[in-house]
Amino acid sequence: MSEEKEYGPFEVDQHITAHSRYYAGKIGSLFYTTLRDHKKFLGIKCGTCDKVLWPPRGTCGRCFSQLSEADMVEIGPNGILETFTLITYHEPVHPRKAPFIYGIIKLDGADTGMAHFIDEVTFEQLETGMRLQPVFEEERKANILDIKYFRPL
Amino acid sequence: MTRELFEQELISMPMIVDVPYRFAAGKYMSRFLIGLKDNGKFLGIRCPSCNRVQMPPRIVCAACHVKNTEWVELGQEGTLAGFTIMYLPLTDPTTGKLHKPPFTYGSVRLDGCDSVIDHLVNIEPDVNKIWIGMRMKAVLRSKEQRTGDLSDILYFEPVEGQEKPGRQL
Repeated sequence: MSEEKEYGPFEVDQHITAHSRYYAGKIGSLFYTTLRDHKKFLGIKCGTCDKVLWPPRGTCGRCFSQLSEADMVEIGPNGILETFTLITYHEPVHPRKAPFIYGIIKLDGADTGMAHFIDEVTFEQLETGMRLQPVFEEERKANILDIKYFRPL
Repeated sequence: MTRELFEQELISMPMIVDVPYRFAAGKYMSRFLIGLKDNGKFLGIRCPSCNRVQMPPRIVCAACHVKNTEWVELGQEGTLAGFTIMYLPLTDPTTGKLHKPPFTYGSVRLDGCDSVIDHLVNIEPDVNKIWIGMRMKAVLRSKEQRTGDLSDILYFEPVEGQEKPGRQL
């Protein structure tokens, strides 16, 4: 170990991996099964705020009211494009390879929007406020990808 | 209420969040990993102040915070300093895959080293066959297959011809 040696940069590839299970809960499960079995969207209405939230959840994010299945209302299936972006790089968290378009879609009757894919359109053709309709998977598995994507109406 | 809850179909799905990343090993760790990859040798580093030998090597001594300078070559054998039998899967940081339980995981102190290295131990997960102080040796990947990370150490295994001292559990 007498002679000093030069060492170039050295890199190591590793993974941080979390193996877990997602539980949709009572209200989320009803949302997914309705989507799978009837191709219908359920939102949830907070009586205190007079807002319909999509996707539905057990607690209102604005006033923290406890919500139940009785508060669920049918919304959509069409909606408007609130905002959108073009994804040009690939990240492992994305369910698709880039390039693709993510949009925030506010369904008719809902007061909040949710992110999903926008297809059958170029990025240049998109405008906020555009009317959109969902395209469903043939074989639905009760998850959010039962909606394949949204496209301009 | 409870009845309705059980009648409803509840949805759950496996969710695997995998974040691959690359880190620069730095000056000392690079030298260690290159030594392991090219020569199959463990390099430790000695603290000039307290004489403590650390492996894997770090620039600063963990005990007295002095810059480490003297490289020492360690052997392939050491002593088991602690162990556990894993009944839950462990995520392998090199691949992100789960290691199927049960298996033995242990801390090995190589001869001439003061710190331990935590790694897989190739012993049947049975407390009557493992003990602290057991002599261990490293089993490395073949030179052609080594990639330059800690997975080049496949596991530690006991040196043959040892018997557990004291009573059996």
